[in-house]
Parts: sequence; structure tokens; C-alpha cells
Amino acid sequence: MSLLWLKGLLTRRAGRLLAASAGIALAVALLASLGSFLAASKATMTQRAAAGVAVDWQVQVQPGTEPATILKAAAGQASTVLALPVGFADTTGLQATVGGTTQTTGPGKVLGLPPGYLAGFPRSVRLLAGSLHGVLVAQQTAANLHVQPGDRVRLGRTGMHPFVVTVAGVVELPQADSLFQRVGQPTQSQPQAPPDNVVLLPQAIFTRAFSELAKTRPDLVSTQIHVRRDRQLPSDPSAAYTTVTQAANNLEVSVAGAALVGDNLGTALGAAREDALYAQVLFLFLGVPGAVLSATLTWAVAGAGADRRRQEQSLLRSRGCSGRRLLLLAALEATTVGVLGGVIGLAGAALIGRSAFGSAGFGTTATGAVISAGLAFLVGLGIAAATVVLPARHELAVATTYQGRSIVRRPQRPSWMRFGLDGLLLVGSLAIFWATSRSKYTLVLAPEGVPTISVSYWAFLGPALLWAGCAMLAWRIADLVLDRGKLLVAWVLRRFVGSVSTTVALSMFRQRRVIIRATVLVTLAISFAVSTATFNATYRHQAEVDAQLTNGADVTVTESPGAHVLPGAAAALAQTPGVRAVQPLQHRYAYVGADLQDLYGIDTSAITSATSLQDAYFQGGSADQLLSRLAHRPDGILVSAETVSDFQLTLGDQLKLRVLSGTSQQYVTVVFHYVGIVNEFPTAPKDSFLVANASYIAARTGDPSVGAFLVDTGGTHVGRVAAEIRSQVGTTAKVTDVNSARGLVGSSLTSVDLSGLTTIELGFAIVLAAAAGGLVAALGLTERRRSLAVAAALGASRQQLRGFTLGESGFVALAGLVCGALAGWGLSSMLVKVLTGVFDPPPAHLAVPWGYLLVVAASSAAAIFVASGLAIHRLRGHLQEDLREL
Amino acid sequence: MSENVPLLTCTGVSRTFGTGHTAVVAVHSVDCEIPARGLIAVTGASGSGKSTLLHLMAGLDRPTVGDLSWPGLQDDDADPRAQIGLVFQGASLMPALTAIENVAFPLVLRGIADVAAREVAHDTMDVLGIVELAAKLPEELSGGQLQRVAIGRALVTQPRLLLADEPTGQLDHGTALDAMEVILGSAAETGAALLVATHDPVVADMLPVRWRMSAGGLDTDPSLTVRAGASS
Repeated sequence: MSLLWLKGLLTRRAGRLLAASAGIALAVALLASLGSFLAASKATMTQRAAAGVAVDWQVQVQPGTEPATILKAAAGQASTVLALPVGFADTTGLQATVGGTTQTTGPGKVLGLPPGYLAGFPRSVRLLAGSLHGVLVAQQTAANLHVQPGDRVRLGRTGMHPFVVTVAGVVELPQADSLFQRVGQPTQSQPQAPPDNVVLLPQAIFTRAFSELAKTRPDLVSTQIHVRRDRQLPSDPSAAYTTVTQAANNLEVSVAGAALVGDNLGTALGAAREDALYAQVLFLFLGVPGAVLSATLTWAVAGAGADRRRQEQSLLRSRGCSGRRLLLLAALEATTVGVLGGVIGLAGAALIGRSAFGSAGFGTTATGAVISAGLAFLVGLGIAAATVVLPARHELAVATTYQGRSIVRRPQRPSWMRFGLDGLLLVGSLAIFWATSRSKYTLVLAPEGVPTISVSYWAFLGPALLWAGCAMLAWRIADLVLDRGKLLVAWVLRRFVGSVSTTVALSMFRQRRVIIRATVLVTLAISFAVSTATFNATYRHQAEVDAQLTNGADVTVTESPGAHVLPGAAAALAQTPGVRAVQPLQHRYAYVGADLQDLYGIDTSAITSATSLQDAYFQGGSADQLLSRLAHRPDGILVSAETVSDFQLTLGDQLKLRVLSGTSQQYVTVVFHYVGIVNEFPTAPKDSFLVANASYIAARTGDPSVGAFLVDTGGTHVGRVAAEIRSQVGTTAKVTDVNSARGLVGSSLTSVDLSGLTTIELGFAIVLAAAAGGLVAALGLTERRRSLAVAAALGASRQQLRGFTLGESGFVALAGLVCGALAGWGLSSMLVKVLTGVFDPPPAHLAVPWGYLLVVAASSAAAIFVASGLAIHRLRGHLQEDLREL
Repeated sequence: MSENVPLLTCTGVSRTFGTGHTAVVAVHSVDCEIPARGLIAVTGASGSGKSTLLHLMAGLDRPTVGDLSWPGLQDDDADPRAQIGLVFQGASLMPALTAIENVAFPLVLRGIADVAAREVAHDTMDVLGIVELAAKLPEELSGGQLQRVAIGRALVTQPRLLLADEPTGQLDHGTALDAMEVILGSAAETGAALLVATHDPVVADMLPVRWRMSAGGLDTDPSLTVRAGASS
């Protein structure tokens, strides 16, 4: 009998089965795609984090320890690929005489590089001029000394004569921060900036220059063992971090404190694991609703056939079929639907992966792809069971044979409406949102050096409750309109469907459960699309803002420290083709108490002509308001919130700073007045800094020199303009552009990664929105084709028949789109706030992708109306068949 | 129009579903006329083509071959099909409408205002003795009540030809006879011609003229009526 039943389902109820399978296929495809994508993203994050590290470990040999011992221990560590000793020595200063003038610098660092170092650690040095074979001078040092390859430099040695070397090349040290770190010291005690003056010597020359000094002043000469590790790391950044950190700890323990490990690879992976966790959070925030929506869609599809299934059950029961047997038949249907949907979904996911990401597994490992696919398939089977077997079981428990005949019952309001569950969910959502969006709240916690990381999954509850609450509220509103407002509905319909409007309105009122279900589904789909798309657009916008913030402007020309460039140089840059505006930006260092901070001097009236200042950069007012305050008080200064807190400042307080003069290189005391708080500023570091009027700083220090020029190109031809300026300024200044910064700020949780995630999301959102409207409308109308057939047989014109379908479709489309848009807006606002950790800086407002949303709305509405049109079209060809079924 | 003009004529009417070797001839070369005030029973086993013939007569379907026309119903350029009332096989009420809304529905489709249509429907239900069912939904009605409401819906437009397809097919014997009494009484009262397709000989015997369908063919031999009358 089971096989006969299955055959009957496949031949007579193929549409219902296929529609339910399609819903499951969507859920499976979405979960499999996102799961594989997440696994692939995590692996990419690990690879990128590791690839960006020039020297994996810097093992600092402790005084009194023989470097060879540590070298042997480091080289003997499992997964060590290369270990080389690097000498570090302090120089009292450098001096060079070029073109008849002598330049002298302050103290610096000299490194001794063993043979094979540059080949073994290729990312540690980038050649700018000359050759890598011989003595190398850092770019800034070369600029300070005005030297180029072939020039001679005197290395000052404490208590000894200077050592003279000939420069072979000028290089950039891309990872100078980590190269000159204080190994083993906490972050707070790390130097503010790498040394200005650096010379790299071949090991033999280094030995000649500093071996004697090492004997007399061992505190000035030390050795580090630089280690390159095998990059065959676990694909998950967290696991990779644990592996690398444990190995570093193992090395430290094995040498019994004779060396400290500067674990650069671990640090990079530590940052990546936080990003990976954010990616996981995004997966949950953005992916799970899609899967829930697909499941709801399947439930609605199955629900659309519930009356017919009830009739079939009733008939079978009247023929003596047992309840157990009926459940078995329902399980058979669920399995068929689940397997079919699962297979289609996995095929769809593979297709998406291949077309969008070049690989069916989205670039993840075979194991990762199989696990994602397997889990998604199981979820598909679960959805099938929940949407087919459970309702059948429920019907068995409550339905009588008589009720089995019913098509339309007097609709009863769901019990949750009486208890106001929608209101409770919305209030609960807002309460949780309030609790989780307070300051100091962190969604993802990955403390440095601590292997455990955590996510506050509590925060998920806010958006989840909001989504559910909005869906229920949409149900309540639709119910209210169709019940209390049926006369209004009839009045509106009259202009479209004529005399049958009241009948249509009454029909909609009595069948409102089906209509409301479709409306809620469209609401959910649209809100999902709106929130996903808005979140994505906001993220992209903020990534752009972050890139601008990091670089300072479209193009930034940063002068070498010590260079004395006056604001007037902006005029020359402004002549470059493609440049719209140039603004000089003073950069000094100033002591706030004992704390050395960056101080930026700006022209408040013109700074925004070259860069954009977001309101989120400031506290206690908008960007315009804070700049205005600064403009009205020449000695005004904007400080960080941390400084305000540390020094208990209130607005108008006097602030005495010791500011480094560019000309005298001496600190002079300058009095400022605190006028506001600044959190972020173009080119400024993440920690504390100060912003003041450039003219005031110049007047008080007697030094108007500029640290950088911010160049606006209008966002176009950035690369070309940067190249042109680069050729103008040569090696005297560093020219960076926003395109390069974009790649830097997105090093891990990259815009590329998120765009992959949202490509899947946005694609599915359109499909779900269209399916939610179209599929449910089509199935609902199919289930009611007998009514349409009767109406046709009684003489209803095509226009009148269309009135019946258009009434329902119009209501579902309009109510669903409006409720969905409102819910989506609320959800977007909450998502952006809850996921604020992925934004840097936090957005001032939401970015709404109107074009995409119009496509979503149009596709949903079109699907609904096409389904209605097809229902009428189908009626023409199947009237006899439908009437025969009466 | 003269009462001698038949309401409906079929000449060589055939209806074939499908094509090629899967084609099914549901109605084959039917020739017949339905006179004004004619009361006819069409008998035949299930699948003999009765429903298809009624659908053709009601204008819901078109013959594949042959000519079908309604000479006695073509008044005032109006669609002759508007003068045909239909009682379908099984429950055919609009499930989302109450009994009175169902009865009024054909009038609403003809553009009559809702209130006026309800008044007429109420009168019709009153005649049929089912006014107390007015506010009930189809799911709240018994089988016999459903069929009475369906009859009311067929009569509300005061058709000149009433076509009933197995109107008692799903009713018990007593209820079936009651329903037929209602249909016959209504036809007599309005002067409408009546054609009832049924496989129930008892129901067929309630009508003076009997035609028989077999394998798509229609036998309208008057002797059939005599024989049937004799047998009853």
C-alpha cells in the first residue's frame, strides 16, 4: 500500500511535492553554501594571517646565554623550517656627508643579517633602490641622511670610534613594528613607533663592527633567533593559534627561560581568530534566518495542502486505515520530500559554489564540504519531518472524519493573539537590545594571549525576537484589516474588480488564515532581504570610510620625520592632474602628562575639502559642531575620551602640553583649552591622540611644518594620481592611496569575504522573497481551484475571476511588502548595532541599497501576480477536470 | 419566443479528450433536443459521458465535432448560457461564502448590487424552505442542506433550462428524494425545462422523459420512456 500511496503522490500530487521539496532545497542550499563558505573563509583567514607575517618567531636570547644553544633548540622544534641568528645593536647616531653637507641623526638600531636571511624571510625587507647585497639603509634613515646607494655612513658606537660602511641599497621595513618589538613585554610597554634610524649589515660586517662592543657593553648588543614555521596549520584560525602558541610556549620551556619568544605568527592568528568568530557570528545572524525562512516556506507549502491531506486522511480512516499506518504514509511523504529537496539543494549549492566561487565546495577542504553538506541535508530531512509528519500527527489527534470534509472553517484567532505574544516578543527584544547595546558590551571576546574566545550568543536573541515579534504583529495587523476592515477592503477592491468586490472581500475575510500566512511569509522574506542588504551596504560603506580614515584621504603624502615641508607645498601638489583639493595636516608629538600622544594641526575651515569627517569620529556633537567649536577657539583642542577620563577634564579646561618643535626638536609648553572629544581622525592611530588648530600650533612652536598632505581626487583615478605624485616627490615622502588602504583594513574579515557571504545571502533573499509570494499564492490558489472553477461555471467573467485572485494577491503583496520593509528597517538598525564590532568606525547611519530592494520587492510582487495570473490561465484549460472533482 | 422552439439542440455532437492512441471519446454523435418545460432524465452508468454532455449543454465545454445551439434561449442578444441553471455533482458551494451569499453569487456575477442580490437570494431560499440556513457556511451544512442551497443557487437567476448533474449522488435515499422533489417543484413553478443526469433509476423514474447514455452515445428513443415507465 505504501508504494501505491507513493506512486499516487508522485503522479497526482507532484506539484505539492515539488513545491515542498523546493522549500527544503532552498534551506539545504543556503545552509550548505554558507557552511562551506564559512569553512573556506576561516581557512582563508588563517592563510592570510600567516602569509602576512614576515618573521614567525623572534626568539630573544637572554643575556649570558649562548645564542647557538637557542638556535639549536629553535631549529629542533617540530615544524620549524628555518632558524637564523640576527644581531641587534644600538648606535649612538648616524652621520653622512653628501654633497658637501653633513647630516647627523639621533640614536638608532643596527641589525646583523646572516647569509640567506633575505631569501628565508623575504617579506621582512623591500628593496627601494640599489642592491640587497651589502649594507642596507631604511628609507626614513636614507631620507634623514640624504644618502643613496654608494654613499658612506658612519655608525656611532658607544665608547668607540664610529664604524664606516658604504650603502648598497635603500629598503623599506614593512613590519618594522614587530621587528623592533620588545620581546616578552606587554603591549603597553612596547615602543610607540619603530626607530627612525635603521641600518642592516651583513653578519660579517656586523660582527666586525659590534663584537668588541658586545664584550664591553653587552646591554647594547643582543641576538635574536628568527624562525620560519611550517605553514601547514589547522584551517580554523583558533586551532591554528592554539597550535602555534603551544609550540612557542614549548620552546620557552625547553630552554628554561634562556630565551623569550616573540610569537608574531601567534599574534596574527590571534587577531584572525576574532575575525573568524565574527564571521561565524555573521553566518549565524545572516544565515540562520534564511534557513528558518526556507523552513517556514516549506511549512506554508505543506500547510497549503493541509485541507486536501486532511480529506485524504479522512477518506483513508473511513476505509479502515489505522493511525499508525497514516503516520507511516506521512513519514514516507516527508522522506520523499526531504531527500528530493536535499539532493536538489546540495546540487544547487554546488552550482552556486562553482559559478560564484570557482569550486563546488566554495574552496574549502573535501572534509569541510562533506560535513557542511551532510549537516544541511539532515536539516532538510528535519524540516520535512516537522512540516509534513507533525501536522499529520496533529490532525490525527484532533480531527474527526466529518471535519475531514471541511475546506473552510470559521477562522479562529490563534491563542497567542489573545495573550499578546507579539507585543511581549517585541518588548523582550528591545529589552535585550538595550542590555546588549550598552557601552562596554562586546559581542566577541578574544583576549590577547588567552586561548579561549567567547561569543555573547545572548545578543542573538534581540534580533531573533524582533523578527518573530514583527511576523506576529504582521499577522495581527493583517487579521485586523481583513476582519474589521473588510468593508474598506471591499471599497478598495471595487475600483479593480467591480461588483464582486464585496464577495471577494468576504471570501478573503473567511479564508484569511491562508492569506495571512502568505502575508507573514512575504513579510519575513522581505524583512530578511532588507536587513541583509542594508547590513551589507552599511558594511561596505563603512569599509570605505575605514579605508579613508586609515589612509587619511584618497591620496596621502606623508613627509619623512625631520623633513621641514611648509604648507605652501600643497600648491604644487594641487597642480597634479586629477587632484581636486589638497590640505596640509600638521603632525607633532605632545606629552599629555607622561603620556606621549600624536597631535594633529588642522585648518578647520578647509580640512573637509580633502577628506571626509564622519559624525561617529566625534563625541558630544556632530563633526560640524566639533569643528565649529575648534574654529571659534584658536587654542581649543579635541582630545580622546580616554584622556578626558584619565585627566578628569571638563569642557573649557586648560590643558598644558609639551609639544615637540619641528625646528628645534625640543619640547615647548603650549596651553590649550579642551573643547571636545575625538575618537577617530584621518591618519591618526587607534589609541589616544589630539587635534588642534594648525595656525595656533605653528604660532606657539614657531614651526609651521607639515606632516602630511591630504589629497582629494573625487574618488576617481586614485591610482593614477598617486603614481603621478609619487613620481613628483621621489623618496622624500611616502605616497599612499585609499586603494591600498582598502586591502590593508580588510586583511582578514575582508570586504571580499563578506561580499561572498552577502552574494549568497542577497541571491537567496531574492529567491526567497519571490518564492514566499509566488509559491504560496500559487499553491493557495491551486487548493482553491474548485472555487474558481465553480465561479467560472456559474458565469464569472475572466475579469471577475481575476478579481478573486488579484484581491488576495494584491493584499499579500502590499501588506507583505509594507510590513516587511518596516520590520526589515528595525532589524537592520538592531543588527548593525549588535554587530557593531565588525564596523570600524561605527556607522553614523544605515546605508540603504534602494536598487537592490526595489528588485526584491518587484520580484516578490511579480511572483505573486504571475502566480495569480497562471491560476486563471490554468483554469481555462482544466475547467472540466476541476469540475469533475467537485 | 414560441414554446415550440426547442431550448437546446444537439446535432452530431461529439467530445473527444486527448489525441492519438490516448484519445477518449466521452460523447459520441449525440442528436437531441430539449423542449421548453421538458423534464428529462439522462441515465447511464458512471463514465458513460453524462457529465460531459451536461457540461457541453451548459456551454462550459465545446463539442469537438457537431453543432450545439440554444435556439430557445437566444433572447435580446443576451448570452443564452445566462438562462441556464446548473446543479453540480457533489458539493459545489463556494466554501468561503455563507449559504445566502452562495445563492446570491450568480446574481452578483451578473452585476446586480450586493444588497439586491441578497434580497432575491433570500426569497429563493424562502421558497425552498432553507432560509434558516442563510448564515451558515457550507462546512456547517449536512449533505441534503448543501444540495438544497446548490439548487437555490441554480434557481436564483430564474433559468429557463435547469441542468442537474447527479444532484442526489452523494445523498441517502430519503434525502435524495426530498432534493428531487425540490428540484421538480421549482422547475414546475418557474416553468423551466429540467434535465437531470443520474444513475439512480428511482430518481430517473420521477421524470417523465428518459434518455440513456452508454459509451458516449445517447439513446433518446421515446420507447425508452415507455419501457422505463412500464418497468416502474
